Amino acid sequence: MNEILLSNQVLVYLLSESILFGLLLIAFVITFGILLKWDFGSYSEQQFLLERRAYLTMTILLFVFVVKFLLLVYFVFAIDSLSLLVPGAMCAAGVISANDYGMLLLFLKLVILFFLLLWMALNSYDLRAKNYPIFRLKSWLFIAIFFIISIELGLNFAYFSHIDTLEPVNCCSTLYGQLEGANPLPFGLNIMTLLLLFYLIYIVVMGAMLSKQRVLSVLATLLFVMIAYYSVVYFFGTYIYELPTHNCPFCMLQVEYYYVGYLVWGTLFVGAYLGIVSSIMEIGLKEERKKEQTSALILLSIFVLLCTAYVAIYYLRNGVFL
Amino acid sequence: MRTSPFFHFLMLGFFKERKKHIGVIAISLVILFLLGSALFISSSIRYSLNQTLAWEPDFVVQRTQGGQKVNAPTAWIDDLLEVHGISKVTPRVYGRYFFKAKENSFLIVGVDFMDEQSNKALRMMMDETDLKQFLKGDNMLVGEGVSTHLKTHFYPNGYTFLTPKGVFKKVNLFKVLPKKSNLISNDMIIVPIELAREILGMGEDEVSDIALNVPNDDEWDNVADKISAFYYDIHVTTKEDIKKAYENLYNYKGGVFLILFLIVIVTFVLILYQRYSMVYSSERRHIGLLRALGWSIRDVLKLKFFETMMIVVIAFVLGVALAYLYVFVLGAPLLREIFLGGANLPNSVILVPVLDFGILSSIFLIYAIPFISAVLIPTWKIAVTDPKEAML
Repeated sequence: MNEILLSNQVLVYLLSESILFGLLLIAFVITFGILLKWDFGSYSEQQFLLERRAYLTMTILLFVFVVKFLLLVYFVFAIDSLSLLVPGAMCAAGVISANDYGMLLLFLKLVILFFLLLWMALNSYDLRAKNYPIFRLKSWLFIAIFFIISIELGLNFAYFSHIDTLEPVNCCSTLYGQLEGANPLPFGLNIMTLLLLFYLIYIVVMGAMLSKQRVLSVLATLLFVMIAYYSVVYFFGTYIYELPTHNCPFCMLQVEYYYVGYLVWGTLFVGAYLGIVSSIMEIGLKEERKKEQTSALILLSIFVLLCTAYVAIYYLRNGVFL
Repeated sequence: MRTSPFFHFLMLGFFKERKKHIGVIAISLVILFLLGSALFISSSIRYSLNQTLAWEPDFVVQRTQGGQKVNAPTAWIDDLLEVHGISKVTPRVYGRYFFKAKENSFLIVGVDFMDEQSNKALRMMMDETDLKQFLKGDNMLVGEGVSTHLKTHFYPNGYTFLTPKGVFKKVNLFKVLPKKSNLISNDMIIVPIELAREILGMGEDEVSDIALNVPNDDEWDNVADKISAFYYDIHVTTKEDIKKAYENLYNYKGGVFLILFLIVIVTFVLILYQRYSMVYSSERRHIGLLRALGWSIRDVLKLKFFETMMIVVIAFVLGVALAYLYVFVLGAPLLREIFLGGANLPNSVILVPVLDFGILSSIFLIYAIPFISAVLIPTWKIAVTDPKEAML
């Protein structure tokens, strides 16, 4: 009997993912059929039928996007609650590294959400244009998304059925912390230069977005996500935990830290996604997307402020840095 | 308020057609109620057990022989006391006493009243007991289940135990333990340690097991290793092991329930699909009219989506509220027997209200996702209705 598969959260999660996949399968078959016969110039009965069917795909994808987003939060929550069952794990970090599928799964989830968001943006443009100028493009994008989601579904089941409840796993402090002097940061950075980069790139992102340097803004945002990840894990996180040796991206999702992790990672990823998607749209379609840009800026600024606030408040309270 | 006419229209339509929705809401209520009750009970019991566990000693040391637990010698206590970082080493004497043809059993717990108790749960239970009075004769404190059982078998004031040596031992009933500790104390009898040894037939220098605390959490693994190395037949159980076992047990019960529930959900989806196909086909003219008035397919989809969301939210709130009432106000009659499994003495436990994000979101996801998925395709079918065709 596999204890993991009987956990309520895991069951609910796997059921939800399977249902979504069922819907996506329907959408996939329809989209494939549409792509074969699509001809917007035609006035045949069949073309009208196809256009109607396209609405079903659209509805399904809209639903899937919203639920996938909720399920990512739920997924993190579910693996966090499993940490009691897996020996050695104290937060989601241990559980997710219990086998090789976990990290890949989490990464795929983030990728899928990004592409779904891109699809939504393309779709709204396509509908507004009335004559479906990028219908083929967005359909091919959907087919690509569908294949990634198929892999993800397989990974979901592989991941949860291969967590061993007897084999001890590493806890977050061994995964991220004690590296015996080895530098975990990329490009041989140290904390000082990392922080410098963090704020510098943030300013570059702001500048690029405001001055409409699209290519620069995409590149800068990508770099910012990476640097921000390391900064949170190795610097800002220690102030959230108020412990200089505690480096973990997952523990902050727990109740002890008032679930602040959901806010930290949420603002970072949603902000970055919106920024990148809107910039790509502006490069590719030459269309102004002010709303997304502004929300992206606001979210990223909240993220930076939140991280800085933790350090500032700690300093004001204790008069020293960690 | 750009969208307010839309919502006004949505509300009007919803109340005008409420008869159509009542059926679906009723089925949803039943499903949510069952699911919610089961999850509420399991989480409440889990919560209470965790509360109780917080009072338990960190380690329990037992002696095993051929995989079975046997009595440990008192000499072990002195060895354990020498390990640094260990505090509150308490010998424990307990065992089961089978009552009448082995139908039921009591848990006999021997307590050394002269010693400070390491087990806070026991201490809390006995807080109001007058110890001087209690220790004067052969007295016992009993749990509620034991007390009722004795009363119905005509032992209102005490019970005569038959020791393994064949001697009868009469013990007076001193007091009944408070009801709030029922989850652990229901079938418990607390007696002084020497009396317990006599009833259970144990030697003077024997204990059932030894409990000990290690105040520094970081040293738990070290201490467990050290103790394990003392003797070849020693077995160390930590609090974490017990916690995990409980977690597994209640996951198991809740999980099996959920797996059976999947069948219900599938049936529910099929019913919904059928029903909405029917309901919507009777609405074809209505939708056709809207389309003829200039509504786009997206507008119709939006209308139907909000309608579905309203049903989902109304059913969810009502269903969860009903389950809450049933479990935490009425005390979940019938259903909780599955989770408590009272094979021995009938138990009456007060379920402590626990509501957390995990449970609510689980209930919502397992209900809302299948629901909306089932409705999606009928909704689309009606939304793309050609106005001309529908009016014919």
